[in-house]
Amino acid sequence: MNQEDWLDRELREAAPYIDDEGFTARVLQQLPAPRRAHDLLRAAILLGMTLLASGLAYVVSGGGRFISITLERLAALPVLWVFVLALASGLMIAAVGAAAAISQGRAS
Amino acid sequence: MELTDADLVARVLVDDDQHAFGELVRRHQSAVRGLLRQLTRTDVALADDLAQQTFLRAYKNIRSFRGEARFSTWLYRIAYNCFREDARRRKELVGIDEEQLQTQHDPQIANPGLRHDLMRALSLLPLNERSAVLLCCQSGLSHDEAARVLDIPLGTVKTNVLRGREKLKRMLADWGPN
Repeated sequence: MNQEDWLDRELREAAPYIDDEGFTARVLQQLPAPRRAHDLLRAAILLGMTLLASGLAYVVSGGGRFISITLERLAALPVLWVFVLALASGLMIAAVGAAAAISQGRAS
Repeated sequence: MELTDADLVARVLVDDDQHAFGELVRRHQSAVRGLLRQLTRTDVALADDLAQQTFLRAYKNIRSFRGEARFSTWLYRIAYNCFREDARRRKELVGIDEEQLQTQHDPQIANPGLRHDLMRALSLLPLNERSAVLLCCQSGLSHDEAARVLDIPLGTVKTNVLRGREKLKRMLADWGPN
């Protein structure tokens, strides 16, 4: 047996199994609440706030008249403006997607 | 049939199954705590704190585990990052705290003699060599896996392992085969 084998064996044997002794339980105690319950609560709050804001906007805007006015204005826009708006929206979405992909890559 | 690490990770991802994560912790706690004990020069309390941080960080970032490497390798990387961040805070990345070495010891290292000398010799290695030797020779990672864990080039890992082993052999010459 050469010296390298001897050293490797000693190094491996110098790392005995460490008994759990409550370690796993301590880690689990510190985990955040399970996502499912948390997500349901968040979804309910978001839905409630969205409904409330929509109702408020409907009342304040005089029964939603602003929607038809906005649609009329959009329809009256020149084709070039519509194209620019669509392009800007697309670029913004692509930028957000790229940023999310980069942050995911860094996290891993 | 026992579930694989990949199965357990999938359960955590899909159902946020904390029991599955608990099983992953149970499987890997010994290896992670062992590595951190060696990196912290057998400061058991600090190593266990860092191990807890490691698993909590793993849970929070489990979506970033893509299964390209073994789960244990991914954990080692998080553990090493936790250790490095803590060491930076404590400014202990270089130099040896001899007083700490004398006052603290791992209770699981009960064997005096060779084991004790090996632990001491390991703790005397510079961090870059110690971590490379621990990962490759003790934890059984390939050089490539160790390079990913330590976030350094493959050639540097090989050099650090070689230098670390040579130093260990010199320090433990009295114990080696004649």
